[in-house]
Amino acid sequence: MPVTKVLTAGIGEVDLRGIDAYRQRGGYTQWERVVRDLQPVDILNIAEKSGLRGRGGAGFPTGRKWSFLPKDKNVRYLVCNCDEAEPGTFKDHMLLEEAPHLVLEGMLIGAYAIASHHAFIYIRGEFLRGYEIFSAALEQARAAGFVGTNIFGTGFDLEITVHRGAGAYICGEETAMLNSLEGKRGEPRLKPPFPAVEGLYSKPTIVNNVETLAYLVPILERGPEWFAAVGTERSKGYKIVSVSGHVQKPGNYEIALGTPVREIIELAGGLRPGRTLMAVQPGGGSSACIFEEQLDWPYDYESMAKAGSMLGSGAFVVFDDTTDFVNCAYNLVRFFSHESCGQCTPCREGGSWMERVLERLVHARGVPGDYEMLLRIAGSITGLNLCPLGDSIEPFLKSVMLRFPEAFKARIVQTRETANA
Amino acid sequence: MTEREQNFPALLERLRPRCEQIIAQYERKRSALLPLMHLFQRHEGYVSREAMEAAAEMVGITPAEAEGTVSFYTLFYRRPVGKYMLQVCRGLACTINGAEDIMAYFREKLGIGHLQTTADGLFSYEEVECLAACDRATCMQVNLEFVYDLTPQKIDAMLDDIRAGSYAVAAMAQTEAPDRTWQIPQDKQVAGGRKSRGAAGVPSPDNAGGVGDRSGVIMLDNIINRNVIRFTGTRERALLEPRDVVERVDEEGARAGH
Repeated sequence: MPVTKVLTAGIGEVDLRGIDAYRQRGGYTQWERVVRDLQPVDILNIAEKSGLRGRGGAGFPTGRKWSFLPKDKNVRYLVCNCDEAEPGTFKDHMLLEEAPHLVLEGMLIGAYAIASHHAFIYIRGEFLRGYEIFSAALEQARAAGFVGTNIFGTGFDLEITVHRGAGAYICGEETAMLNSLEGKRGEPRLKPPFPAVEGLYSKPTIVNNVETLAYLVPILERGPEWFAAVGTERSKGYKIVSVSGHVQKPGNYEIALGTPVREIIELAGGLRPGRTLMAVQPGGGSSACIFEEQLDWPYDYESMAKAGSMLGSGAFVVFDDTTDFVNCAYNLVRFFSHESCGQCTPCREGGSWMERVLERLVHARGVPGDYEMLLRIAGSITGLNLCPLGDSIEPFLKSVMLRFPEAFKARIVQTRETANA
Repeated sequence: MTEREQNFPALLERLRPRCEQIIAQYERKRSALLPLMHLFQRHEGYVSREAMEAAAEMVGITPAEAEGTVSFYTLFYRRPVGKYMLQVCRGLACTINGAEDIMAYFREKLGIGHLQTTADGLFSYEEVECLAACDRATCMQVNLEFVYDLTPQKIDAMLDDIRAGSYAVAAMAQTEAPDRTWQIPQDKQVAGGRKSRGAAGVPSPDNAGGVGDRSGVIMLDNIINRNVIRFTGTRERALLEPRDVVERVDEEGARAGH
C-alpha cells in the first residue's frame, strides 16, 4: 500500500523547525499568494470545495464552520486548538514539534480566511518543548515579515499570540478553551450562542484544530480538486492516524480517508507474532470499540459512525488478546471522571460512581448487580451534559461490556453480605 | 514570615516588566492569568498565595477569582513540590503496554506514591493522564521534558543521574521545603470520600484536619494511593486488606517522620 505523505512529508528525515529549511521546501509561498492575490471568500470557497472537515474530533466541514461568522462584525478571532489530550492521540504533538512553520502557515491562512487580525494558538500545558519550538518559529516568521503589521506590504495586519494551557483535558472543548483563554476556569459554555457568533471576549471566534489548519497549506498549493479526489464521498482527503497499543510499529501514519481498518493495522506493523486481535478503538478515548467483523470497513467518518463508533481525532488503539478490558474500561472511566469539570451533575457524579464500581471489579470484588448497574448509569449520563465529555464515558465501556460480558461478570465474586461486612 | 515570603516583593519587582509584556498581548487583561501563573511558578517552584494575589491585582480580579481559576488546572502546584516532578503516564495506551509495572517500579524505588514528595524534597511523583506520546509507550515527563520507552534500567539511570546532579533536565526552582503532598485535601479528587464497597473501612478524608494536619495528610495519602497494592503484582500484598494498608502507611509515615 502506498504511503502518502502530505503534512508528514519530511518529518523524521529533515529538520523542519528552522524557517530556512521550511522555505526551501516552498514554505510560506502559499501565505504570500493568499495575502497578495486572494480574498477571504476565495479561501472559504477553496476549503468548501476541498471537502476538508475538522480533524480535531467532531469532523465538521471547515468551510461551513467559517461561513457561520456574522457578516456585519469586524472583530473576529481565530483560535488554533493544540490542546491535544484525547487518550491515544499524538498527531498535533508531532506537528507542533516537528513542523511548527507548517502549523503557523496554516494558522495565518485560516485567520486570513475569516478576516481576523488576531489569532491565538492554545497549546497544551504539558507540551512545554512544543511551546518553545513554536514560539521560536513564530519569532523567525515575525522577523521575516510574515506576521505582524503590513504583511508583504499589503497593509494586512495579523498578530499571533501563543497561549499555554495548564493541564486540563476539558480545555480541548472549544468553549472551555475560550474560557481558559479569557483567564477563567476551563468550563464549557452553554451553546448556543456558538463561538462563531459569540466566542472569545464575546466576539465571533473560530476554533480549528492544528491538523485542520495545516491541511490548508497543501490544499492551496495543489488545489482543492487534488484533496477532494481522494477519500470517500463525504470524507475527503487525508488524515493523520495515531496508531498505538498492541502493534509492532506504533506511530503517526498519514492515510487517505477510506483506507480499510485492516490496512492501517498492517501499516503499523501488524500485531505481535502469535497474538490475535480483540478490538480496535478507532477514534480516541471517547469512541466505542470496533471488532474483527468490521476490519474491512473503510476508515472514514461515515463508516465509523455506522459501526457504532467514530473517527474522532484519529487515535487508533489496537488491543490484542493480552488485554484486560475491565482494566481498560476502568482506565478510561477514571480518566473522564478525573477530567470532568464538574458543572453538570450526570457527568460529575455518574463518572465517579462508575469509576468506583469499576474499581472494585478490577480488584475482583464486584457485587451482584454491578454489571447491570454500570450499563444503567452509563445510559443515564449520555446526552444530558453541556459538552461532549459526559457523553464520552459510555461508548468504550458499553462496547466492551456487551462484547466481553464474561470478563466483567467473572469479577463479581462477593455477595452483598460479604461486601458490606 | 519565611525567607521566600520576604524575598517575594523583590521577585515581583523583577518580574513586573515581563508581566506587563504578557498582559499587553491580550485584549483583556484577565487572559494573562495563566501565563502569569506559569511565570511565577517557574521562579518559585509553585504558585504561592502571594503570586496569586499579585497576579490578581495586575489583571484586575479578586484573589478569590484567581485562586478559583488556578485551582482548576493540575499543572499549577499550589503547595511546594520536589525539585524534580516525575509525571508518569497512566493513559490507556501506556497501560496496555505495561505502565502499571512502571508505576509500581517508581513507587518502590522512590518509596512514595501518587501525588507525593520524597522526604528529601528532591522528587515529586504523580501519575498523570495521557501525555500524547502513545507511540512511545510507556512514557513520562520529568519537569515537563518527555522521556519515552521507559524500562527499569532507564528509570534507575535517571534517578541516579538526578541524585548525582548530572541529569540532562534542570531542576525546578524550590523556594520552600515541600510537604508530603502538594494536594490540598479539599480538592475534588478526594472531596467525595469516594469509598467503594471494596474499600470499606478506610477512614473518610472528610475528617482530615485540612492543610498541615498530619493525620489528615496521611489519610489523604492513603485515599489517593488506594491502588498501591494493585501495582506491586506480588500475590501476598495483593491480598492485603485496605485496613492493613492504612496501618502500614501510618507506620511508614511515622518512621519517615511525616
